[in-house]
Amino acid sequence: MPDAKPLIQVKNLNLYFGNFHALKNVSVDFHAGELVGLVGDNGAGKTTLIRVLCGIHKPTDGEVYFDGKLVKEFHPKLAIDQGIETIQQSVGLCDNLSIARNFYLGREPVRKVLGIPLLDFAKMRGEATKVIRAFGLRDNVSADDEVERLSGGERQSVKIGRAVEFKNRVVIMDEPTNHLSVREREHVNELALQLRNQGLLVIYITHDIFQVHKLADRIVIMENGEKIEDASTDKMSAEALEEVIRQGGRVVEKMES
Amino acid sequence: MSLAALKPIIRKHSEIGIFLVAVFLVLFFVATSEGRWNNAYNISTILQVTATLGLMTLGVALVIGTGEIDISVGSTFGMAALIYLFLAVRVDPAMAAFAAVAAGAAIGAFNGLLVTRTGTPSLIVTLGSLMIFRGLAIALTSGFAFSVPYKDRGALSYFILGGDNLFRIGTFPGVNTGFLWLIAGLVILSIALKLMPFGNHLLAAGGSAASAHSRGVRVDRVKLRAFIICGVLAGLAGVLEAGKLGSADGSMGRMMELQATASCVLGGCLLAGGRISLVGALMGTFVLSSIQSYLVVRAIPPQWFIVLLGLIVVLAALGDRKLRQWALKR
Ligand SMILES: Nc1ncnc2c1ncn2[C@@H]1O[C@H](COP(=O)(O)OP(=O)(O)OP(=O)(O)O)[C@@H](O)[C@H]1O
Ligand SMILES: [Mg+2]
Repeated sequence: MPDAKPLIQVKNLNLYFGNFHALKNVSVDFHAGELVGLVGDNGAGKTTLIRVLCGIHKPTDGEVYFDGKLVKEFHPKLAIDQGIETIQQSVGLCDNLSIARNFYLGREPVRKVLGIPLLDFAKMRGEATKVIRAFGLRDNVSADDEVERLSGGERQSVKIGRAVEFKNRVVIMDEPTNHLSVREREHVNELALQLRNQGLLVIYITHDIFQVHKLADRIVIMENGEKIEDASTDKMSAEALEEVIRQGGRVVEKMES
Repeated sequence: MSLAALKPIIRKHSEIGIFLVAVFLVLFFVATSEGRWNNAYNISTILQVTATLGLMTLGVALVIGTGEIDISVGSTFGMAALIYLFLAVRVDPAMAAFAAVAAGAAIGAFNGLLVTRTGTPSLIVTLGSLMIFRGLAIALTSGFAFSVPYKDRGALSYFILGGDNLFRIGTFPGVNTGFLWLIAGLVILSIALKLMPFGNHLLAAGGSAASAHSRGVRVDRVKLRAFIICGVLAGLAGVLEAGKLGSADGSMGRMMELQATASCVLGGCLLAGGRISLVGALMGTFVLSSIQSYLVVRAIPPQWFIVLLGLIVVLAALGDRKLRQWALKR
C-alpha cells in the first residue's frame, strides 16, 4: 500500500522551450512503493516531465516537492544524490568511454594514493562486469570496451543495469524496453515490479498501455503537455485508458464540462 | 605479426599516426641534411622549442578534450612573458613568475566563463581574447622590448625558470629547464586524465555533454577548469620562454596558437572532443619543431614553414583518417 504522503509532488508545473509550451500546468503525486505508468502520444511531454524530476530541466514555474521539501535547485547531480536513478530515453551513455567508466560516471569510486584520489579500476571493472553479465551481455563484450561498439540492446542493458545497481528511492524508466528482445522485456518488467515491492517509487514510461496496465498501480496519461488522466489500474481497464489516449483527452473534457 | 593484428592497436591508440609521421620525418631529415639536422646541438634546440610549445599544447589538448577550443594561447603566452620580464627585475623573479601564471589563469577563466555562461562558441570567444591580449601586449610595450640582461640572471629562480645547460654532456649542449617542466606537466596531466575522476568527467563532457550532464557531471565547471589549466600552462610556457631568452616584445608568441592546435590535431586529438592523446599531441609538437629546424639548417626561408605546416596538417589528417578507417573495419 502506498504511503499517504507523496514522495514526489508536482504542483502547477509549466515549462517552456522558447515559445513552445511543453508542460501545461501539470500537477501529479507519486508515492513510495508505487509503480506508475506514464503514457501518451509521441511528443506529449512524458520525457520532459521526468526530466524535470531528475533535474535535467528547470521548470519555468510551478513547484516540485521531494519528500515534502520544496526543490529549489535543479541539477541531475542533486537528484541522483537524493536517490533518483533514471534510465533516460536518448542520453546517458558516452560513446567514447568504456562501459566501466560510463557505469560510474559522476560517482567514481576512488582509492587514495599519497592523498591523490585515483580511480578504483578493480572495483569499477568488477561491478560493471557482474552487472552486464546479469543483464545478458555475452562474453565478447568486456567492461573495458567502449560503448561506441555496443548494439542498441546492449546499450539499453547497460543503462538498466546501472540504474538497478544504484537504485535508491526512485527509479524512473523512460521507454526502458526499447531495443530489447521479448525475453529481455519480460526481465525488465519483472525488475520494475521487484523494485516497487522493495518499496521504491517506479515511474515507467511506455507506449504499450496493455503491458504497463498489468504492472502498474496507477496510470497517468499525458497529451499535448497536459495531464489528461490519472487513474488507478483497478478503477480503469486498459481498454478504457486506450480509448482516452485515442480520443486525446476529449472524452475526459466532455465528462468534466 | 600480420597487418590485421595491428588493427586493434591502431583503434585504441590514436597517436600511432603521428608516431609513424615522426619516424618517417626523422629518417628523411637524417638522410637529407648531411648531419646538419641530426647533431647534438640541433637536437637540443629542437627540444627547447618543444618544451615551451609543448606545455601550451598540453593545455590546448585538454580544452579540445572537452569539445571546445582555445586559440587565445599565443596571446596569453606573450602577456605572461611580458609580465614576467617586467616584474622580475623590479620585484623578484619567483613572484614575477607567479604573477604571470596567475594572469594566464585569469585569461583562461575569462574564456571559460564567457563560453560556459553565455553559450558563445569557444572559437569566437578565444578569437576575441587572442586579439584583445595581443593588442594590449603591443600597446603596452609600444614597440619596445622588455629584457633582463644576462649578467643579472644569476639567481636560482632564473635557472629554474628556463635556465640553460641542464644535462650538458660532452658535445650535447644540454636542455633548457623548460624541458623538465614539460615532463612534469605531461606526467601530472596524464595521471589526472587517465586515472582520476577529473579525466573521466572531462572526456565525458567532450564525448556527450548531454549524457555527462544527465549523470550529474557539472559540465560547465569541467570546461571552466580546462580553460583555466590551459591558461596556466600557456602562461608558464611564456615565463619559461622569457626566462630562456631574457627579452620579449609585443609580438612574443605570435602564431603559436596555430602550432599548438596543429600539434593536437596531428597527435590524434579529435576536434569534436572526447578523444585526446597527450603523448600524441607532444609528438605533434616535436614534429613541428623538427620541421622548423630542418628548414633552418637547410637554409630554406622561414616563411615556407607556415606553408609546410598547413600542408602537413592537411596530409596528416587525411592519412590518419584513412588509417583509422582501415583499423575500424572488422
Ligand atoms: N530541449 C528541447 N527543446 C525544444 N523542444 C523540446 C525539447 N525537448 C522536447 N521538446 C519538445 O517538447 C515536446 C515534448 O517532448 P517529449 O520528449 O517530452 O515527448 P514524449 O512524450 O517523451 O514523446 P515520445 O513518446 O516520442 O518520447 C515535443 O514536441 C518536443 O519536440
Ligand atoms: Mg519520450
